[in-house]
Amino acid sequence: MKKNNMVAMILAGGRGSRLFDLTKKVAKPAVHFGGKYRIIDFALSNCANSHISTVGVLVQYESILLSSYSARSSTWGLDSKGGGVYVLSPREKDETGLGLYAGTADAIYQNLDFLDQEEADYVLVLSGDHIYKMDYDKMLKAHQEANAEATIAVIEVPMKEASRFGIMNTDKNDRIVEFEEKPKQPKSNLASMGVYIFSYKSLKKYLKEDAKNPDSAHDFGKNIIPAYLKDNLKLQAYRFKGYWKDVGTIDSLWEANMDLLKDNSGLDLFDPDWKIYTDDASATPQCIGSKAKIDNAFITQGAIVNGDVSHSVIFSGATVGEDAKVSESVIMNNVTVGKGAKLTRCLVADDVRIPEGMVLGKKNSDEILLVSKALIAKAGEEHE
Amino acid sequence: MSKVLGILNFEPSYVHVRGLEDFRPISATSILGRYRVIDFMLSNFTNSGIEGIKVFIKNRPRSTVEHVMHTSYNLNSKRGKIQMLHGDTDYSNNELFNVDIQAFKTYMEFVDVENPSYVVIAPSHFIFKQDFNELLEYHIKSKNDITMLYQNANNTDTQYLMGDILTIDEKKRVTGFHKNRGKYKKGNVSLETYVMSALTFKQLVDEASMTSSLYSLSDIVSDCVKVMKIGAYQHKGFCACISTLNAYYEANMEIKKERELLKLINDDWPIYTMTNDSCPTLYKPGAKVTGSIVANGCQIEGTVINSVIGRNVVVREGAVIKDSVILPDTLIDKNVKLECAVVDRLSIVTHIKELKGTREEPIYIKRGDRI
Repeated sequence: MKKNNMVAMILAGGRGSRLFDLTKKVAKPAVHFGGKYRIIDFALSNCANSHISTVGVLVQYESILLSSYSARSSTWGLDSKGGGVYVLSPREKDETGLGLYAGTADAIYQNLDFLDQEEADYVLVLSGDHIYKMDYDKMLKAHQEANAEATIAVIEVPMKEASRFGIMNTDKNDRIVEFEEKPKQPKSNLASMGVYIFSYKSLKKYLKEDAKNPDSAHDFGKNIIPAYLKDNLKLQAYRFKGYWKDVGTIDSLWEANMDLLKDNSGLDLFDPDWKIYTDDASATPQCIGSKAKIDNAFITQGAIVNGDVSHSVIFSGATVGEDAKVSESVIMNNVTVGKGAKLTRCLVADDVRIPEGMVLGKKNSDEILLVSKALIAKAGEEHE
Repeated sequence: MSKVLGILNFEPSYVHVRGLEDFRPISATSILGRYRVIDFMLSNFTNSGIEGIKVFIKNRPRSTVEHVMHTSYNLNSKRGKIQMLHGDTDYSNNELFNVDIQAFKTYMEFVDVENPSYVVIAPSHFIFKQDFNELLEYHIKSKNDITMLYQNANNTDTQYLMGDILTIDEKKRVTGFHKNRGKYKKGNVSLETYVMSALTFKQLVDEASMTSSLYSLSDIVSDCVKVMKIGAYQHKGFCACISTLNAYYEANMEIKKERELLKLINDDWPIYTMTNDSCPTLYKPGAKVTGSIVANGCQIEGTVINSVIGRNVVVREGAVIKDSVILPDTLIDKNVKLECAVVDRLSIVTHIKELKGTREEPIYIKRGDRI
């Protein structure tokens, strides 16, 4: 199938501070997810599967790992001639000097030269920290058919949760008439997914104007979309049905992992027609010991299970020792769960070693316990 | 460092892996759920820093070619090169391509063009871990004409049948060859791995092809034990010769033990293979899995005991798989009971509810069969 003339720009520079120790040295989009993936694999695989050949990844916060990971275009099959994944970090410029990305709109504005160079007709703006499978090519077709200047993907959320999202109020043809950021009294339940398609010509004009405005927050939701609405440009809502999750907190990251254990979550990773690609670890197949007990789990290669695992996701290189009990937990890369340890409702960060016999987390706890190296060290001190 | 060319030989005529061999060369046979047999030897080459590799394929090259093409084996894309050489009407009469010497002779120009100082010839039907640099260093230091790798085995009565057993003197010099007919339990098994200078290699190939069109590399080397200095280098650790269906089955069963697995495959000695981008494996409520190795992309609802489960296998509710090797992309339907079976790729077991083989004679279910 022919590639489309849309360039994707993935916003991947945020701190993700509500993930605490997980994002201390790693940008949120590079955090591991679902056994073998990193969060950004979803956006990048969606791009590749949607016949997009050029993707810019806008990085800023703790970008070493994210940049080196994203730059390997071949991981997602985005390595055809004339395409690729381009890591775009803030740079020093002749006229303006070195400037950080001040907001989502500013990040795109500072890379207009990249979009010019790629001769984009359409720009797809995405977040690098959402878990979902979406065909952006279909969305582009809808954008073109509606003759819109911008199309915003929306998902129906329960009305009582609508005040947590950016809400689009639309007319009967799904044309957006109003945008409200986290409204107290929502008028609709169409939440923005943070997925935008812009016709490049008008976007460029609005970004340039926005850049001149010293009072602007340089944000798509707060500034650019309202400016489009004010000038009566055609803004269309594109309804998405399916699984979509923002994994901005420990609880939501844990929940999204738990969703992989369900048959009906709507996120089908087994679908051969829409694979989620990721770096291929040269790991052994998963090794399930003779004393292991597994009841509902999602486990990836390189994991070694000798204990009891239930309702949990086990990532690459993780080992669960004999007589250890892991339930309702997410065990991330290269974690060692020592013999006889007991973990309930925990999310264990990469490379953490859980000492033998340690008990962490509680059944029916309100919050998921983030188990980091710091937490283990502290628990060790208290023990002494 | 002197330039070393790796040559992966095709399987000799004594290799008969019942059933599996009808569909692909042994090199392309799936093993341990996610690998092909060839991955182990090619990773030995590249982990040893050998960047030029010739893979000889006797026939049915499709599956090996496809697999190797899509696996980088950690070779860089400019200076590293794996070339696959197989029977071809332009180059060879396919009948002659049954013997390695004829294949080497046919394609000698591609060896010449690399201009190597040394060649390392390794077999495609063995699985072991070996740093070929160590072997080469030993070869150079000991001033041998040829150095051969061997294993001091204590199961030659059941394994390595019809392979070469070496007589080795106290100076580690090979003094004789004989075929293993399973008479003795112990013996020094040739791992069919030879190191020699490129010049010696060419001389041997020429000499062998002049002697007889049926001569193999092992034949000509065994002829030379008196006139050449042939050294022996001992390999230690796991070794399997995949020459029969039983040997294939046993190799899977042996390597799947955690201890063996981590010795054979680890961060210091990764085994590269083609990625399929399968998602992790889902163990559904009710699944019971113990003592097994499972590849990614599986959906398991039934019981799996002491088995190897390949990529993208579906095991439905009530199915019981015991002591079996299930190759990728198969479906084991509800309430099917399998014991000591080797189920080939893309097959569906649904109507027959019970199949039971023995460890010595595992049941084989054909590729793509629907039973």
